[in-house]
Amino acid sequence: MLTVLFIVMGVLILALGVVMMIGNRRINESGVRSFRRHIDALSPEARREVHDRVRAQRDKKEGR
Amino acid sequence: MARDLAIDLGTANTLVYMKGKGIVLNEPSVIALNRQTGEVLATGREAWQMIGRTPGYIVAVRPLRGGAITDFEITERMIRLLLQRVGVSRFTRPKVVICVPSAITEVERRAVTDAARRAGAADAQLIEQPMAAAIGADLPIDEPVGNMVIDIGGGTSETAVISLGGIVALEAVRVGSFDIDAAIQAYVRREHGIAIGERTAEEVKMAIGSAAPTEDESQAEVRGRDLMTGLPKTVILTPEEIRFAIEDVVSSIIASVVRCLAKAPPELAQDFLVRGMYLVGGGGLLRGLAQRIERETQVPVKMSNMPLEAVVLGAGHCIEHYDALKNMFMGARR
Repeated sequence: MLTVLFIVMGVLILALGVVMMIGNRRINESGVRSFRRHIDALSPEARREVHDRVRAQRDKKEGR
Repeated sequence: MARDLAIDLGTANTLVYMKGKGIVLNEPSVIALNRQTGEVLATGREAWQMIGRTPGYIVAVRPLRGGAITDFEITERMIRLLLQRVGVSRFTRPKVVICVPSAITEVERRAVTDAARRAGAADAQLIEQPMAAAIGADLPIDEPVGNMVIDIGGGTSETAVISLGGIVALEAVRVGSFDIDAAIQAYVRREHGIAIGERTAEEVKMAIGSAAPTEDESQAEVRGRDLMTGLPKTVILTPEEIRFAIEDVVSSIIASVVRCLAKAPPELAQDFLVRGMYLVGGGGLLRGLAQRIERETQVPVKMSNMPLEAVVLGAGHCIEHYDALKNMFMGARR
């Protein structure tokens, strides 16, 4: 009976460890992904659209 | 459905960028009120033209001074009117990103966001001006290199070192181009005995003001009121006089740039020597200022392509990529 209890406890601890590991990995992955997204959104390519729009607006205003 | 907005709430001018459309408003941050009833009579350019020329019952004021909100209620009313002018109503609730000086207090922060929410914004987020300026000045802040931006506004001068999308070092002083105008006013009063208004002082600064000797310098004729006789009087001002008058303000701005350079990590400091520093904001247009900063710091100084619009451009980019750049908003990092 005690052996069965130990085995069940062992399995539970193992399962908890696996769950924590997966959760941790997910958090890390989401951190990496959100940082990448943040950096990509600041790239010159991502910024071009806003710059071109305002530059065109300014040129139009100045009659160029 | 209203389009989301980015607002550069500057001491001198307010600019509004509308998502997918561009800059839809660019006007002085001035509001004219009826002193007796508290009723708003004019805002923006119309109110700016009234400064120093109003009868007793009208007061034309700038609700922001030295990068700080001097009157919360008036600022709130100005934000509400601005949003109304670009089409925000109770039924159209846009997301709003507002650029504010980095030295803004917690109370001021809450006042600005509350004002925007009360004016009809579904969500109001704040971004520091130097961060927005660096995005708007098209600096490669997505790379692990040191980018330095100097934003000289009407009431504040902020210098920041930015790398990998975040601020590494920051230095802000509550000194800006309005202090240059005030220094000119004080000098003319003291040395020539005449009183001039703040708009005249600004015109003098734009005509002959400089931080270092430049080519093609000329003199300026200034009209004001003689302090002794009370009669109108004209005096001639030289560029040397103006340089002397504004020296303390210019020195204080340069000292803050030097302090920021000193705060930067050594790995990034070497990048500045190669890439230089970028000057944005209306105050950066003062003749000879870039050369003066360059001379005193030994770091190349470049002028941004769109110095007056850089901050709102940066905030506009944040509103276009709202979800990806959420981490940059002031509340998100606390």
